[in-house]
Amino acid sequence: MTEESVKPALADAVRPRPGTVSAAQLEARGRKRRQRQDGLVLGAQILIGLSLIAGMYLLNATSGKLFMPRPDDVLAQSIKLWSNGTMLRALGESLTVLTFGFLLSAVTGILGGALLGGFHYVSRVLDPYVNALNSTPGAAFIPLIIVWFGLYTEAKVVLVWNAAFFPILINTAAGIANADRDLVEMGRAFGAKRASLFWNVMLPHALPSILSGLRIGAAISTVGTVIAELTMAQSGLGGLLAQAGNRFQMDKYFAVVIVLMALGTAITAALRYAERRIGAWRVTT
Amino acid sequence: MTEPLISLKNVGKLFGDGQVRALQDVSFDVRPGEFISLVGPSGCGKTTLLRIINGLISPEEGSVTVMGKKPEPGPDLAMVFQSARLLPWRTVSGNIEFALALRGHDKVERRSRALALLGAVGLRDFADAFPHQLSGGMQQRVGLARALAVEPKVLLMDEPFAALDAMTREVLRKELLQMWARRRMAIVFVTHDIDEAVYLSQRIVLLRPRPGRIDEVVDVALPEPRWEIDPRTTAQFAELRTHLWDRIHAMARDGEALEELASAFPM
Repeated sequence: MTEESVKPALADAVRPRPGTVSAAQLEARGRKRRQRQDGLVLGAQILIGLSLIAGMYLLNATSGKLFMPRPDDVLAQSIKLWSNGTMLRALGESLTVLTFGFLLSAVTGILGGALLGGFHYVSRVLDPYVNALNSTPGAAFIPLIIVWFGLYTEAKVVLVWNAAFFPILINTAAGIANADRDLVEMGRAFGAKRASLFWNVMLPHALPSILSGLRIGAAISTVGTVIAELTMAQSGLGGLLAQAGNRFQMDKYFAVVIVLMALGTAITAALRYAERRIGAWRVTT
Repeated sequence: MTEPLISLKNVGKLFGDGQVRALQDVSFDVRPGEFISLVGPSGCGKTTLLRIINGLISPEEGSVTVMGKKPEPGPDLAMVFQSARLLPWRTVSGNIEFALALRGHDKVERRSRALALLGAVGLRDFADAFPHQLSGGMQQRVGLARALAVEPKVLLMDEPFAALDAMTREVLRKELLQMWARRRMAIVFVTHDIDEAVYLSQRIVLLRPRPGRIDEVVDVALPEPRWEIDPRTTAQFAELRTHLWDRIHAMARDGEALEELASAFPM
């Protein structure tokens, strides 16, 4: 009885009629148009990249290598740093701090956010404290962290945790507190109790929000890692950066910056991908 | 005379710290297997009544019993909402399984029952689709299937067809009548569509607004089954709908008179 209402419409759309363009032809046209657009975008991007490199050469030629290193010197330094293991060791140290700090902030941020979002009383009580701590610039805590945790890996992990914790906490709390009221009522009408509502309705509904909190947190974690490595015992990519900068080795400095750039981009891209995969049901067409 | 399935006695409901009276002195019974409609203009507390019967909220005054007990959300009651209210991250079948899981069915049984119910509403092929891939009418069918899946004694329906297009609405009304004829659960159906109420129900509770209270209870003794013998062209149908409309127009006149009175005596 219901098939009829659905099927004919579909059949009509698929069946080719004389004088009209077939679906396959339309698809081919669309594909061609998309390819052309992709080509234009890629072409412009390559052009910008090349002019950046050309600009570096120009600045190098006019203002000297202290002001701007030659791109081929940067390349040579990169190869040297990668082949003698310096870069890999630095990357490893940075990734250790970054990973532990981020995971710690993810776990605590999501748990805390669930508590704040799920229990109105808790969020009302803690609201001024969360706001105050969140509004304080992260760098303000560096001396305290150094006094409490020292200058090495633990202290750096704590700094990263401190930086990434709040965006994750706040996004999680907001996602859970803003659970769709209609869906919650639906769950209640069918007899769902608090725990079931939380796991089956509120948490899945908050998942996209939690994931964007994680994405922001990860981006801040990379910043926090570099700041920790610059301000505490120098280590990792941040340490390398300081080392090169202090000695005005700009080619080395640029080689490190490129690695940081790639690292940040890779982390953000990975989390964006996860966000798209998990939040696929949000697509409404 | 059979024992009533649902019984409301002098129910009153206040909102906003007692400043707004939503319901006043509402009393009626629903018999097992009866199709009863709550009809009235907006602001007459139709949805509030439904939520009270479901046990989502409790009234300040009077008493409500469902099968002899204070109502609470659970196995005997199921609700169909105006929008389908499906969990968008679950498949169509997953949505029905959610309701079945709340009833404590095991995993294998949930899936097979969900598929059976989807077959009953003609959506078996869409079991693994996500709600956003379905049309509004199809989503509402899933909402109906979810409610039927738990085999409720009472089906509560809150303007379930109001947001659909006229054709889909007509098809779903017929399907609902057929489903009801087969299963004979009691249905409490909220609508503001007079024709729909007369067409579907055996009894109509007409409510007045501000505060919501009963204006009249009308028996609809039209021949069954109505999806075969369409009553909407009969004189009896016309008479009933004229009567109900007269009452509603009278309410509107009273409302205007009250408002005039209020403006004549500014507070």
